[in-house]
Amino acid sequence: MSASPDGSTAATTPLLQVEAISCRFGGLLALDQVSLELAEGEIFGLIGPNGAGKTTLFNVISGLTTPSGGRCLWRGVPTAGLGPCGLNRLGIARTFQNLRLFESLSVRENVLVGLHHAARAPLLGALLGNGAFRRHQERLEARAMELLTLLELAALAEQRAGDLPYGDRRRLEIARALATAPRLLLLDEPAAGMNPAEKDDLRQLISRIRDHFALTVLIIEHHVPLMMRLCDRLAVLNFGERIALGSPAEVRTDPRVIEAYLGGSGGGSGGGQGSAAGEGR
Amino acid sequence: MDAALLEQMLLGALLALSVYLPLRCGQLSLATPGFYAVGGYVAALLSTGVPAFAGSGATSPLPALLAEMALGGALAGLIALAIGRPVLRLRGIYLAIATIALVEILRVLNLNLPFTGGAMGIFGIPQPFEHAGGYVLFTLALLAVASWLCQRLEALRLGRAMAAIRDDELAAASVGIDTPRTKLIAFVASAVLAGITGALAAHFFNSWNARAGSFDASITTLAFVVFGGSRFWLGPVLGGLALTALPELLRPVGDLRLILFGAVILLGPLFFPQGLVTAERLRGLAAVLGRSRGRGHQAPQTP
Ligand SMILES: Nc1ncnc2c1ncn2[C@@H]1O[C@H](COP(=O)(O)OP(=O)(O)OP(=O)(O)O)[C@@H](O)[C@H]1O
Ligand SMILES: [Mg+2]
Repeated sequence: MSASPDGSTAATTPLLQVEAISCRFGGLLALDQVSLELAEGEIFGLIGPNGAGKTTLFNVISGLTTPSGGRCLWRGVPTAGLGPCGLNRLGIARTFQNLRLFESLSVRENVLVGLHHAARAPLLGALLGNGAFRRHQERLEARAMELLTLLELAALAEQRAGDLPYGDRRRLEIARALATAPRLLLLDEPAAGMNPAEKDDLRQLISRIRDHFALTVLIIEHHVPLMMRLCDRLAVLNFGERIALGSPAEVRTDPRVIEAYLGGSGGGSGGGQGSAAGEGR
Repeated sequence: MDAALLEQMLLGALLALSVYLPLRCGQLSLATPGFYAVGGYVAALLSTGVPAFAGSGATSPLPALLAEMALGGALAGLIALAIGRPVLRLRGIYLAIATIALVEILRVLNLNLPFTGGAMGIFGIPQPFEHAGGYVLFTLALLAVASWLCQRLEALRLGRAMAAIRDDELAAASVGIDTPRTKLIAFVASAVLAGITGALAAHFFNSWNARAGSFDASITTLAFVVFGGSRFWLGPVLGGLALTALPELLRPVGDLRLILFGAVILLGPLFFPQGLVTAERLRGLAAVLGRSRGRGHQAPQTP
Protein backbone atom coordinates (compact mmCIF):
# COMPACT_ATOMS: atom_id res chain seq x y z
CA MET A 1 0.00 0.00 0.00
CA SER A 2 2.89 2.35 0.59
CA ALA A 3 3.83 4.55 -2.34
CA SER A 4 6.37 2.82 -4.51
CA PRO A 5 9.67 4.67 -4.83
CA ASP A 6 9.66 4.44 -8.62
CA GLY A 7 7.65 7.65 -8.79
CA SER A 8 4.58 6.27 -10.52
CA THR A 9 2.39 7.08 -7.54
CA ALA A 10 4.39 10.08 -6.37
CA ALA A 11 3.59 11.88 -9.62
CA THR A 12 -0.08 12.20 -8.68
CA THR A 13 -0.99 13.46 -5.24
CA PRO A 14 -3.99 11.55 -3.91
CA LEU A 15 -7.23 13.53 -3.88
CA LEU A 16 -7.74 12.82 -0.21
CA GLN A 17 -5.36 11.42 2.38
CA VAL A 18 -6.68 10.27 5.73
CA GLU A 19 -3.69 10.04 8.03
CA ALA A 20 -3.91 8.12 11.31
CA ILE A 21 -7.31 9.57 12.24
CA SER A 22 -8.45 8.75 15.75
CA CYS A 23 -11.75 9.74 17.22
CA ARG A 24 -12.67 9.28 20.86
CA PHE A 25 -16.15 9.70 22.34
CA GLY A 26 -15.67 9.49 26.09
CA GLY A 27 -14.47 5.97 26.78
CA LEU A 28 -15.19 4.77 23.25
CA LEU A 29 -12.49 4.83 20.61
CA ALA A 30 -14.69 5.10 17.52
CA LEU A 31 -11.71 5.43 15.15
CA ASP A 32 -8.26 4.11 15.93
CA GLN A 33 -5.46 5.48 13.73
CA VAL A 34 -7.32 4.95 10.48
CA SER A 35 -5.44 5.78 7.27
CA LEU A 36 -6.70 5.80 3.69
CA GLU A 37 -5.79 7.37 0.39
CA LEU A 38 -8.30 8.11 -2.33
CA ALA A 39 -7.02 8.39 -5.87
CA GLU A 40 -8.82 10.71 -8.23
CA GLY A 41 -11.66 8.97 -10.09
CA GLU A 42 -11.97 5.79 -8.08
CA ILE A 43 -14.98 4.36 -6.30
CA PHE A 44 -13.77 3.43 -2.86
CA GLY A 45 -15.91 1.32 -0.54
CA LEU A 46 -15.99 1.37 3.23
CA ILE A 47 -17.53 -1.66 4.90
CA GLY A 48 -17.68 -2.98 8.41
CA PRO A 49 -20.18 -4.08 11.06
CA ASN A 50 -22.59 -1.70 12.77
CA GLY A 51 -20.77 0.70 15.05
CA ALA A 52 -17.43 0.12 13.34
CA GLY A 53 -16.89 3.87 12.90
CA LYS A 54 -17.72 4.28 9.21
CA THR A 55 -20.09 7.22 9.64
CA THR A 56 -17.70 8.76 12.15
CA LEU A 57 -14.98 8.69 9.49
CA PHE A 58 -17.36 10.45 7.05
CA ASN A 59 -18.09 13.04 9.71
CA VAL A 60 -14.38 13.69 10.17
CA ILE A 61 -13.74 13.94 6.42
CA SER A 62 -16.69 16.30 5.90
CA GLY A 63 -15.82 18.48 8.90
CA LEU A 64 -18.76 17.66 11.16
CA THR A 65 -16.56 15.99 13.77
CA THR A 66 -13.12 17.14 14.88
CA PRO A 67 -10.84 14.12 15.24
CA SER A 68 -8.90 13.61 18.45
CA GLY A 69 -5.82 12.66 16.46
CA GLY A 70 -4.49 12.51 12.91
CA ARG A 71 -5.29 14.71 9.96
CA CYS A 72 -6.86 14.82 6.51
CA LEU A 73 -5.17 16.27 3.45
CA TRP A 74 -7.01 17.50 0.36
CA ARG A 75 -4.69 17.38 -2.65
CA GLY A 76 -1.86 17.42 -0.15
CA VAL A 77 -3.11 20.35 1.95
CA PRO A 78 -4.30 19.83 5.56
CA THR A 79 -8.01 20.52 5.99
CA ALA A 80 -8.09 21.01 9.77
CA GLY A 81 -10.48 23.71 10.97
CA LEU A 82 -12.32 24.18 7.69
CA GLY A 83 -15.71 22.99 8.90
CA PRO A 84 -18.47 21.48 6.75
CA CYS A 85 -19.07 24.63 4.71
CA GLY A 86 -15.40 25.16 3.93
CA LEU A 87 -14.87 21.52 3.03
CA ASN A 88 -17.87 21.56 0.72
CA ARG A 89 -16.40 24.56 -1.04
CA LEU A 90 -13.15 22.62 -1.45
CA GLY A 91 -15.13 19.96 -3.28
CA ILE A 92 -16.37 17.44 -0.73
CA ALA A 93 -20.10 16.71 -0.71
CA ARG A 94 -21.95 14.05 1.22
CA THR A 95 -25.22 12.35 1.93
CA PHE A 96 -26.42 11.33 5.37
CA GLN A 97 -27.23 7.89 6.69
CA ASN A 98 -30.26 9.31 8.52
CA LEU A 99 -31.34 11.54 5.61
CA ARG A 100 -31.16 15.26 6.21
CA LEU A 101 -33.23 16.85 3.48
CA PHE A 102 -34.77 20.31 3.68
CA GLU A 103 -38.13 18.74 4.25
CA SER A 104 -40.39 21.77 4.00
CA LEU A 105 -38.87 22.72 0.62
CA SER A 106 -39.77 21.17 -2.71
CA VAL A 107 -37.56 18.62 -4.44
CA ARG A 108 -36.50 21.32 -6.92
CA GLU A 109 -35.72 23.80 -4.14
CA ASN A 110 -33.57 21.24 -2.34
CA VAL A 111 -31.37 21.04 -5.41
CA LEU A 112 -31.42 24.84 -5.81
CA VAL A 113 -30.09 25.15 -2.25
CA GLY A 114 -27.31 22.78 -3.32
CA LEU A 115 -26.58 25.22 -6.15
CA HIS A 116 -26.04 27.95 -3.53
CA HIS A 117 -22.56 28.68 -4.73
CA ALA A 118 -23.43 28.77 -8.40
CA ALA A 119 -26.35 31.06 -7.54
CA ARG A 120 -24.18 34.04 -6.62
CA ALA A 121 -25.56 37.11 -8.41
CA PRO A 122 -25.20 40.90 -8.08
CA LEU A 123 -27.54 42.00 -5.27
CA LEU A 124 -29.16 44.98 -6.94
CA GLY A 125 -30.01 43.10 -10.11
CA ALA A 126 -31.33 40.23 -8.01
CA LEU A 127 -33.54 42.55 -5.92
CA LEU A 128 -34.97 44.22 -8.98
CA GLY A 129 -35.20 40.92 -10.83
CA ASN A 130 -33.64 42.43 -13.97
CA GLY A 131 -33.02 40.57 -17.20
CA ALA A 132 -29.51 39.40 -16.32
CA PHE A 133 -30.78 38.00 -13.02
CA ARG A 134 -33.70 36.24 -14.69
CA ARG A 135 -31.41 34.61 -17.25
CA HIS A 136 -29.07 33.56 -14.43
CA GLN A 137 -32.06 32.14 -12.60
CA GLU A 138 -33.19 30.22 -15.68
CA ARG A 139 -29.73 28.67 -16.01
CA LEU A 140 -29.90 27.57 -12.37
CA GLU A 141 -33.35 26.07 -12.82
CA ALA A 142 -32.16 24.25 -15.93
CA ARG A 143 -29.15 22.90 -14.03
CA ALA A 144 -31.43 21.73 -11.21
CA MET A 145 -33.73 19.97 -13.65
CA GLU A 146 -30.74 18.31 -15.32
CA LEU A 147 -29.64 16.85 -12.00
CA LEU A 148 -33.18 15.78 -11.14
CA THR A 149 -33.51 14.09 -14.51
CA LEU A 150 -30.21 12.29 -13.99
CA LEU A 151 -31.50 10.95 -10.68
CA GLU A 152 -34.94 10.15 -12.08
CA LEU A 153 -36.67 12.70 -9.89
CA ALA A 154 -37.77 15.23 -12.51
CA ALA A 155 -41.42 14.22 -12.31
CA LEU A 156 -41.41 14.90 -8.57
CA ALA A 157 -39.82 18.36 -8.81
CA GLU A 158 -42.67 20.24 -7.15
CA GLN A 159 -43.31 17.71 -4.37
CA ARG A 160 -42.39 18.56 -0.81
CA ALA A 161 -39.17 16.69 0.02
CA GLY A 162 -40.68 15.58 3.33
CA ASP A 163 -43.46 13.75 1.47
CA LEU A 164 -41.18 11.60 -0.69
CA PRO A 165 -40.85 7.84 -0.26
CA TYR A 166 -37.59 6.54 1.13
CA GLY A 167 -35.75 5.62 -2.07
CA ASP A 168 -36.55 8.96 -3.69
CA ARG A 169 -35.24 10.79 -0.65
CA ARG A 170 -31.94 8.95 -0.89
CA ARG A 171 -31.62 9.91 -4.55
CA LEU A 172 -32.60 13.49 -3.80
CA GLU A 173 -29.79 13.71 -1.26
CA ILE A 174 -27.41 12.59 -3.99
CA ALA A 175 -28.83 15.20 -6.39
CA ARG A 176 -28.43 17.92 -3.77
CA ALA A 177 -24.85 16.86 -3.07
CA LEU A 178 -24.04 16.80 -6.80
CA ALA A 179 -25.47 20.30 -7.16
CA THR A 180 -22.56 21.63 -5.11
CA ALA A 181 -20.22 20.51 -7.95
CA PRO A 182 -18.07 18.26 -5.76
CA ARG A 183 -14.88 16.43 -6.71
CA LEU A 184 -15.41 13.87 -3.96
CA LEU A 185 -18.81 12.43 -3.15
CA LEU A 186 -19.37 10.67 0.18
CA LEU A 187 -22.37 8.32 0.18
CA ASP A 188 -23.46 6.95 3.56
CA GLU A 189 -25.56 3.82 2.98
CA PRO A 190 -27.33 5.11 -0.14
CA ALA A 191 -29.04 1.77 -0.74
CA ALA A 192 -30.46 1.38 2.77
CA GLY A 193 -34.14 0.53 2.67
CA MET A 194 -34.13 -0.28 -1.07
CA ASN A 195 -35.25 -3.55 -2.60
CA PRO A 196 -32.80 -5.64 -4.69
CA ALA A 197 -33.95 -4.16 -8.00
CA GLU A 198 -33.58 -0.62 -6.68
CA LYS A 199 -30.18 -1.48 -5.28
CA ASP A 200 -29.04 -2.67 -8.66
CA ASP A 201 -30.34 0.50 -10.31
CA LEU A 202 -28.52 2.55 -7.71
CA ARG A 203 -25.26 0.73 -8.36
CA GLN A 204 -25.47 1.52 -12.05
CA LEU A 205 -26.47 5.07 -11.25
CA ILE A 206 -23.40 5.60 -9.05
CA SER A 207 -21.11 4.28 -11.80
CA ARG A 208 -22.82 6.54 -14.29
CA ILE A 209 -22.48 9.57 -12.03
CA ARG A 210 -18.81 8.85 -11.49
CA ASP A 211 -18.20 8.70 -15.24
CA HIS A 212 -20.42 11.66 -16.05
CA PHE A 213 -18.83 14.05 -13.53
CA ALA A 214 -15.36 12.42 -13.38
CA LEU A 215 -15.97 12.12 -9.64
CA THR A 216 -14.24 10.28 -6.87
CA VAL A 217 -16.71 8.36 -4.71
CA LEU A 218 -16.33 7.09 -1.16
CA ILE A 219 -19.24 4.87 -0.28
CA ILE A 220 -20.45 3.10 2.86
CA GLU A 221 -22.82 0.21 2.27
CA HIS A 222 -23.70 -2.96 4.14
CA HIS A 223 -24.74 -4.90 1.08
CA VAL A 224 -21.46 -6.67 0.35
CA PRO A 225 -22.22 -8.14 -3.11
CA LEU A 226 -23.17 -4.68 -4.34
CA MET A 227 -19.93 -3.26 -2.97
CA MET A 228 -17.85 -6.01 -4.53
CA ARG A 229 -19.27 -5.22 -7.95
CA LEU A 230 -19.25 -1.45 -7.61
CA CYS A 231 -15.98 -0.55 -5.92
CA ASP A 232 -12.48 -0.31 -7.34
CA ARG A 233 -11.02 -0.67 -3.86
CA LEU A 234 -12.42 -1.37 -0.41
CA ALA A 235 -11.40 -0.77 3.18
CA VAL A 236 -12.83 -2.72 6.09
CA LEU A 237 -13.34 -1.16 9.51
CA ASN A 238 -13.93 -3.15 12.67
CA PHE A 239 -14.17 -1.53 16.12
CA GLY A 240 -12.64 1.64 14.74
CA GLU A 241 -9.67 -0.15 13.27
CA ARG A 242 -8.90 -0.55 9.58
CA ILE A 243 -8.41 -4.28 9.27
CA ALA A 244 -8.12 -4.61 5.50
CA LEU A 245 -7.62 -2.58 2.36
CA GLY A 246 -7.42 -3.57 -1.26
CA SER A 247 -9.30 -4.71 -4.34
CA PRO A 248 -12.61 -6.54 -3.86
CA ALA A 249 -10.88 -9.83 -4.60
CA GLU A 250 -8.15 -9.18 -2.02
CA VAL A 251 -10.60 -8.07 0.65
CA ARG A 252 -12.93 -11.00 0.03
CA THR A 253 -10.17 -13.49 0.76
CA ASP A 254 -8.54 -11.62 3.65
CA PRO A 255 -8.70 -13.93 6.68
CA ARG A 256 -9.20 -11.07 9.13
CA VAL A 257 -12.16 -9.81 7.15
CA ILE A 258 -13.70 -13.24 6.92
CA GLU A 259 -13.33 -13.64 10.65
CA ALA A 260 -14.48 -10.18 11.71
CA TYR A 261 -17.09 -9.23 9.21
CA LEU A 262 -18.14 -11.74 6.64
CA GLY A 263 -18.26 -14.48 9.24
CA GLY A 264 -17.20 -16.95 6.56
CA SER A 265 -20.60 -16.80 4.85
CA GLY A 266 -19.16 -14.67 2.06
CA GLY A 267 -21.75 -11.98 1.62
CA GLY A 268 -24.10 -12.36 4.57
CA SER A 269 -24.51 -9.46 6.96
CA GLY A 270 -22.39 -9.75 10.06
CA GLY A 271 -23.90 -6.48 11.24
CA GLY A 272 -26.01 -7.87 14.03
CA GLN A 273 -23.17 -9.58 15.80
CA GLY A 274 -20.85 -6.63 15.37
CA SER A 275 -23.32 -4.26 16.87
CA ALA A 276 -24.00 -6.48 19.85
CA ALA A 277 -20.30 -6.70 20.55
CA GLY A 278 -19.97 -2.94 20.10
CA GLU A 279 -22.65 -2.18 22.63
CA GLY A 280 -21.16 -4.61 25.09
CA ARG A 281 -18.06 -2.50 25.37
CA MET B 1 -61.23 53.14 12.93
CA ASP B 2 -59.19 56.24 13.64
CA ALA B 3 -55.88 57.05 11.99
CA ALA B 4 -53.94 56.79 15.26
CA LEU B 5 -54.99 53.18 15.74
CA LEU B 6 -54.24 52.42 12.11
CA GLU B 7 -50.76 53.86 12.57
CA GLN B 8 -50.14 51.68 15.62
CA MET B 9 -51.27 48.65 13.65
CA LEU B 10 -48.84 49.44 10.86
CA LEU B 11 -46.01 49.86 13.35
CA GLY B 12 -47.02 46.49 14.82
CA ALA B 13 -46.80 44.92 11.36
CA LEU B 14 -43.29 46.33 10.86
CA LEU B 15 -42.16 44.93 14.21
CA ALA B 16 -43.68 41.59 13.33
CA LEU B 17 -41.59 41.54 10.14
CA SER B 18 -38.54 42.26 12.28
CA VAL B 19 -39.28 39.17 14.41
CA TYR B 20 -40.03 37.17 11.27
CA LEU B 21 -36.65 37.71 9.58
CA PRO B 22 -34.55 35.68 12.05
CA LEU B 23 -37.36 33.14 12.43
CA ARG B 24 -37.28 32.62 8.69
CA CYS B 25 -33.91 31.01 9.21
CA GLY B 26 -34.99 29.24 12.37
CA GLN B 27 -33.61 31.73 14.89
CA LEU B 28 -35.98 32.59 17.73
CA SER B 29 -34.74 36.09 18.55
CA LEU B 30 -36.80 38.27 20.90
CA ALA B 31 -34.46 41.25 20.56
CA THR B 32 -36.76 43.32 18.32
CA PRO B 33 -38.15 45.63 21.07
CA GLY B 34 -34.60 46.39 22.24
CA PHE B 35 -33.58 47.58 18.77
CA TYR B 36 -36.92 49.38 18.42
CA ALA B 37 -36.16 51.30 21.62
CA VAL B 38 -32.65 52.17 20.40
CA GLY B 39 -34.01 53.54 17.12
CA GLY B 40 -36.58 55.59 19.00
CA TYR B 41 -33.96 57.11 21.29
CA VAL B 42 -31.81 58.07 18.32
CA ALA B 43 -34.73 59.96 16.78
CA ALA B 44 -35.85 61.45 20.10
CA LEU B 45 -32.38 62.69 21.03
CA LEU B 46 -31.56 64.08 17.59
CA SER B 47 -34.86 65.85 17.03
CA THR B 48 -35.04 67.37 20.50
CA GLY B 49 -31.36 68.13 21.00
CA VAL B 50 -29.70 68.79 17.65
CA PRO B 51 -30.86 72.00 15.91
CA ALA B 52 -30.25 70.61 12.42
CA PHE B 53 -32.82 67.85 13.06
CA ALA B 54 -35.24 69.81 15.21
CA GLY B 55 -36.75 72.10 12.61
CA SER B 56 -38.87 75.02 13.76
CA GLY B 57 -40.90 74.66 16.93
CA ALA B 58 -43.11 71.59 17.10
CA THR B 59 -42.67 70.48 13.50
CA SER B 60 -39.67 68.70 12.07
CA PRO B 61 -38.71 68.48 8.40
CA LEU B 62 -39.21 65.23 6.51
CA PRO B 63 -35.54 64.90 5.46
CA ALA B 64 -34.62 65.04 9.16
CA LEU B 65 -37.04 62.18 9.85
CA LEU B 66 -35.51 60.12 7.05
CA ALA B 67 -32.00 60.81 8.36
CA GLU B 68 -33.04 59.82 11.89
CA MET B 69 -34.57 56.61 10.61
CA ALA B 70 -31.38 55.82 8.74
CA LEU B 71 -29.24 56.55 11.80
CA GLY B 72 -31.57 54.69 14.18
CA GLY B 73 -31.54 51.68 11.87
CA ALA B 74 -27.77 51.91 11.50
CA LEU B 75 -27.10 52.03 15.26
CA ALA B 76 -29.43 49.10 15.90
CA GLY B 77 -27.77 47.21 13.04
CA LEU B 78 -24.29 47.93 14.41
CA ILE B 79 -25.26 46.64 17.85
CA ALA B 80 -26.67 43.50 16.24
CA LEU B 81 -23.52 43.09 14.15
CA ALA B 82 -21.30 43.46 17.22
CA ILE B 83 -23.11 40.91 19.38
CA GLY B 84 -24.56 38.69 16.64
CA ARG B 85 -21.79 36.13 16.13
CA PRO B 86 -21.52 34.88 19.72
CA VAL B 87 -25.23 35.23 20.48
CA LEU B 88 -26.32 33.35 17.36
CA ARG B 89 -24.22 30.36 18.35
CA LEU B 90 -27.00 29.69 20.84
CA ARG B 91 -29.93 27.67 19.62
CA GLY B 92 -33.67 27.59 20.19
CA ILE B 93 -34.82 28.62 23.61
CA TYR B 94 -31.26 29.57 24.69
CA LEU B 95 -31.11 32.16 21.94
CA ALA B 96 -34.53 33.44 23.01
CA ILE B 97 -33.33 33.88 26.59
CA ALA B 98 -30.10 35.58 25.53
CA THR B 99 -32.02 38.05 23.37
CA ILE B 100 -34.46 38.76 26.22
CA ALA B 101 -31.39 39.52 28.35
CA LEU B 102 -30.19 41.89 25.61
CA VAL B 103 -33.53 43.71 25.68
CA GLU B 104 -33.22 44.02 29.47
CA ILE B 105 -29.65 45.33 29.27
CA LEU B 106 -30.70 47.95 26.72
CA ARG B 107 -33.70 48.90 28.87
CA VAL B 108 -31.58 49.40 31.98
CA LEU B 109 -29.05 51.38 29.96
CA ASN B 110 -31.82 53.57 28.56
CA LEU B 111 -33.11 54.16 32.09
CA ASN B 112 -29.74 55.11 33.50
CA LEU B 113 -27.70 56.80 30.78
CA PRO B 114 -27.21 60.51 31.61
CA PHE B 115 -28.80 61.73 28.36
CA THR B 116 -31.87 59.51 27.93
CA GLY B 117 -34.13 61.25 30.43
CA GLY B 118 -34.37 58.49 33.05
CA ALA B 119 -37.74 56.88 33.71
CA MET B 120 -39.64 59.84 32.27
CA GLY B 121 -37.82 59.58 28.97
CA ILE B 122 -37.80 62.26 26.33
CA PHE B 123 -40.75 64.59 25.69
CA GLY B 124 -41.93 66.98 23.05
CA ILE B 125 -40.54 65.15 20.05
CA PRO B 126 -41.42 67.37 17.05
CA GLN B 127 -43.90 66.19 14.45
CA PRO B 128 -43.00 65.73 10.78
CA PHE B 129 -46.69 65.29 9.92
CA GLU B 130 -49.55 67.48 11.06
CA HIS B 131 -52.10 64.69 11.23
CA ALA B 132 -51.98 61.00 12.03
CA GLY B 133 -53.05 60.46 8.41
CA GLY B 134 -49.63 61.64 7.26
CA TYR B 135 -47.98 59.04 9.48
CA VAL B 136 -50.30 56.38 8.14
CA LEU B 137 -49.38 57.08 4.52
CA PHE B 138 -45.67 57.25 5.31
CA THR B 139 -45.71 54.05 7.39
CA LEU B 140 -47.77 52.29 4.77
CA ALA B 141 -45.07 53.11 2.22
CA LEU B 142 -42.40 51.79 4.61
CA LEU B 143 -44.37 48.61 5.22
CA ALA B 144 -44.81 48.17 1.47
CA VAL B 145 -41.05 48.45 0.92
CA ALA B 146 -40.27 46.04 3.78
CA SER B 147 -42.86 43.53 2.52
CA TRP B 148 -41.55 43.82 -1.03
CA LEU B 149 -38.01 43.07 0.19
CA CYS B 150 -39.29 40.04 2.11
CA GLN B 151 -41.15 38.91 -1.01
CA ARG B 152 -38.00 39.26 -3.15
CA LEU B 153 -36.13 37.19 -0.58
CA GLU B 154 -38.17 34.16 -1.68
CA ALA B 155 -36.50 34.29 -5.11
CA LEU B 156 -32.96 35.02 -3.87
CA ARG B 157 -30.30 32.54 -2.88
CA LEU B 158 -30.14 34.27 0.50
CA GLY B 159 -33.81 33.46 1.07
CA ARG B 160 -33.30 29.83 0.05
CA ALA B 161 -30.25 29.58 2.31
CA MET B 162 -32.32 30.94 5.21
CA ALA B 163 -35.08 28.40 4.58
CA ALA B 164 -32.48 25.62 4.37
CA ILE B 165 -30.99 26.63 7.73
CA ARG B 166 -34.47 26.66 9.25
CA ASP B 167 -35.06 23.09 8.07
CA ASP B 168 -31.61 21.65 8.88
CA GLU B 169 -28.69 23.84 9.81
CA LEU B 170 -26.11 21.09 9.59
CA ALA B 171 -27.24 19.92 6.16
CA ALA B 172 -27.20 23.56 5.03
CA ALA B 173 -23.56 23.90 6.10
CA SER B 174 -22.70 20.67 4.31
CA VAL B 175 -23.93 22.07 0.98
CA GLY B 176 -21.62 25.04 1.35
CA ILE B 177 -23.85 27.61 3.04
CA ASP B 178 -21.99 29.87 5.46
CA THR B 179 -24.56 29.39 8.19
CA PRO B 180 -23.14 31.80 10.83
CA ARG B 181 -22.99 34.56 8.22
CA THR B 182 -26.50 33.91 6.92
CA LYS B 183 -27.93 33.93 10.42
CA LEU B 184 -26.06 37.15 11.16
CA ILE B 185 -27.48 38.82 8.05
CA ALA B 186 -31.01 37.92 9.15
CA PHE B 187 -30.36 39.17 12.69
CA VAL B 188 -28.87 42.48 11.51
CA ALA B 189 -31.69 43.01 8.99
CA SER B 190 -34.17 42.41 11.80
CA ALA B 191 -32.40 44.98 14.00
CA VAL B 192 -32.22 47.58 11.24
CA LEU B 193 -35.95 47.25 10.55
CA ALA B 194 -36.76 47.53 14.26
CA GLY B 195 -34.48 50.57 14.62
CA ILE B 196 -36.09 52.33 11.65
CA THR B 197 -39.54 51.56 13.03
CA GLY B 198 -38.54 52.92 16.45
CA ALA B 199 -37.31 56.20 14.98
CA LEU B 200 -40.65 56.68 13.24
CA ALA B 201 -42.64 55.61 16.30
CA ALA B 202 -40.84 58.08 18.58
CA HIS B 203 -42.17 60.95 16.48
CA PHE B 204 -45.64 59.50 16.27
CA PHE B 205 -45.91 58.94 20.04
CA ASN B 206 -44.37 62.35 20.67
CA SER B 207 -42.45 60.98 23.67
CA TRP B 208 -40.13 58.02 24.19
CA ASN B 209 -39.06 56.10 27.25
CA ALA B 210 -37.53 52.79 28.26
CA ARG B 211 -40.92 51.04 28.30
CA ALA B 212 -40.76 50.85 24.49
CA GLY B 213 -38.31 48.00 24.80
CA SER B 214 -39.52 45.66 27.53
CA PHE B 215 -39.94 41.95 28.08
CA ASP B 216 -43.70 42.40 27.56
CA ALA B 217 -43.05 43.86 24.16
CA SER B 218 -40.83 40.90 23.27
CA ILE B 219 -43.67 38.51 23.98
CA THR B 220 -46.26 40.64 22.20
CA THR B 221 -44.20 40.94 19.03
CA LEU B 222 -43.52 37.20 19.10
CA ALA B 223 -47.28 36.63 19.40
CA PHE B 224 -47.76 38.62 16.17
CA VAL B 225 -45.69 36.08 14.30
CA VAL B 226 -47.00 32.99 16.07
CA PHE B 227 -50.53 34.14 15.38
CA GLY B 228 -49.96 35.15 11.77
CA GLY B 229 -47.55 32.39 10.80
CA SER B 230 -43.81 32.48 10.33
CA ARG B 231 -43.48 30.87 6.90
CA PHE B 232 -44.38 33.77 4.66
CA TRP B 233 -44.11 37.53 5.25
CA LEU B 234 -47.86 38.05 4.92
CA GLY B 235 -48.37 36.08 8.13
CA PRO B 236 -46.49 38.41 10.47
CA VAL B 237 -47.95 41.46 8.74
CA LEU B 238 -51.50 40.22 9.33
CA GLY B 239 -50.62 39.09 12.85
CA GLY B 240 -49.10 42.48 13.67
CA LEU B 241 -52.10 44.38 12.29
CA ALA B 242 -54.70 42.19 13.98
CA LEU B 243 -53.13 41.78 17.39
CA THR B 244 -52.33 45.50 17.68
CA ALA B 245 -55.91 46.40 16.84
CA LEU B 246 -57.57 43.81 19.04
CA PRO B 247 -56.98 45.33 22.52
CA GLU B 248 -58.22 48.70 21.24
CA LEU B 249 -61.27 47.24 19.54
CA LEU B 250 -62.07 45.36 22.73
CA ARG B 251 -61.94 48.52 24.83
CA PRO B 252 -65.77 48.73 25.14
CA VAL B 253 -65.89 45.45 27.08
CA GLY B 254 -63.73 46.95 29.82
CA ASP B 255 -61.58 44.71 31.99
CA LEU B 256 -62.72 41.68 30.08
CA ARG B 257 -60.62 42.79 27.11
CA LEU B 258 -57.30 41.57 28.48
CA ILE B 259 -58.84 38.17 29.14
CA LEU B 260 -60.29 38.06 25.63
CA PHE B 261 -56.96 39.18 24.17
CA GLY B 262 -55.21 36.43 26.10
CA ALA B 263 -57.77 33.92 24.91
CA VAL B 264 -57.15 34.87 21.26
CA ILE B 265 -53.40 34.50 21.70
CA LEU B 266 -53.97 31.13 23.34
CA LEU B 267 -56.57 29.81 20.91
CA GLY B 268 -54.91 31.10 17.73
CA PRO B 269 -52.03 28.59 17.87
CA LEU B 270 -54.41 25.86 19.04
CA PHE B 271 -56.60 26.14 15.97
CA PHE B 272 -53.91 27.36 13.57
CA PRO B 273 -50.71 25.72 14.76
CA GLN B 274 -48.81 27.04 11.72
CA GLY B 275 -50.35 30.50 12.05
CA LEU B 276 -52.99 32.05 9.83
CA VAL B 277 -50.89 32.16 6.66
CA THR B 278 -49.49 28.80 5.61
CA ALA B 279 -48.02 27.44 2.40
CA GLU B 280 -51.16 25.38 1.73
CA ARG B 281 -53.50 28.33 2.17
CA LEU B 282 -51.27 30.50 -0.02
CA ARG B 283 -51.27 27.85 -2.74
CA GLY B 284 -55.04 27.66 -2.47
CA LEU B 285 -55.27 31.42 -2.81
CA ALA B 286 -52.86 31.43 -5.76
CA ALA B 287 -54.93 28.73 -7.47
CA VAL B 288 -58.10 30.79 -7.07
CA LEU B 289 -56.37 33.94 -8.34
CA GLY B 290 -54.75 32.02 -11.19
CA ARG B 291 -58.11 30.64 -12.28
CA SER B 292 -59.77 34.03 -12.33
CA ARG B 293 -56.78 35.49 -14.19
CA GLY B 294 -56.88 32.56 -16.62
CA ARG B 295 -60.48 33.45 -17.43
CA GLY B 296 -59.39 37.04 -17.99
CA HIS B 297 -56.82 35.88 -20.56
CA GLN B 298 -59.25 33.65 -22.37
CA ALA B 299 -61.91 36.28 -22.73
CA PRO B 300 -60.30 38.18 -25.64
CA GLN B 301 -59.74 34.95 -27.56
CA THR B 302 -63.44 34.27 -28.03
CA PRO B 303 -64.93 37.31 -29.64
N1 LIG C 1 -21.29 11.89 18.56
C1 LIG C 1 -21.07 10.71 19.17
N2 LIG C 1 -20.97 10.65 20.50
C2 LIG C 1 -20.73 9.48 21.12
N3 LIG C 1 -20.58 8.32 20.49
C3 LIG C 1 -20.66 8.31 19.16
C4 LIG C 1 -20.92 9.51 18.43
N4 LIG C 1 -20.95 9.21 17.12
C5 LIG C 1 -20.74 7.90 17.03
N5 LIG C 1 -20.56 7.35 18.25
C6 LIG C 1 -20.26 5.95 18.52
O1 LIG C 1 -19.15 5.61 17.75
C7 LIG C 1 -19.28 4.29 17.25
C8 LIG C 1 -19.16 4.30 15.75
O2 LIG C 1 -20.34 4.88 15.21
P1 LIG C 1 -20.58 5.07 13.67
O3 LIG C 1 -21.89 5.73 13.54
O4 LIG C 1 -19.42 5.68 13.06
O5 LIG C 1 -20.71 3.56 13.18
P2 LIG C 1 -21.03 3.01 11.72
O6 LIG C 1 -19.87 2.19 11.32
O7 LIG C 1 -21.44 4.10 10.84
O8 LIG C 1 -22.25 2.06 12.05
P3 LIG C 1 -23.60 1.80 11.21
O9 LIG C 1 -23.27 0.75 10.23
O10 LIG C 1 -24.54 1.29 12.24
O11 LIG C 1 -24.01 3.08 10.62
C9 LIG C 1 -20.63 3.76 17.73
O12 LIG C 1 -20.41 2.96 18.87
C10 LIG C 1 -21.37 5.02 18.10
O13 LIG C 1 -22.27 4.76 19.14
MG1 LIG D 1 -23.14 4.65 9.90
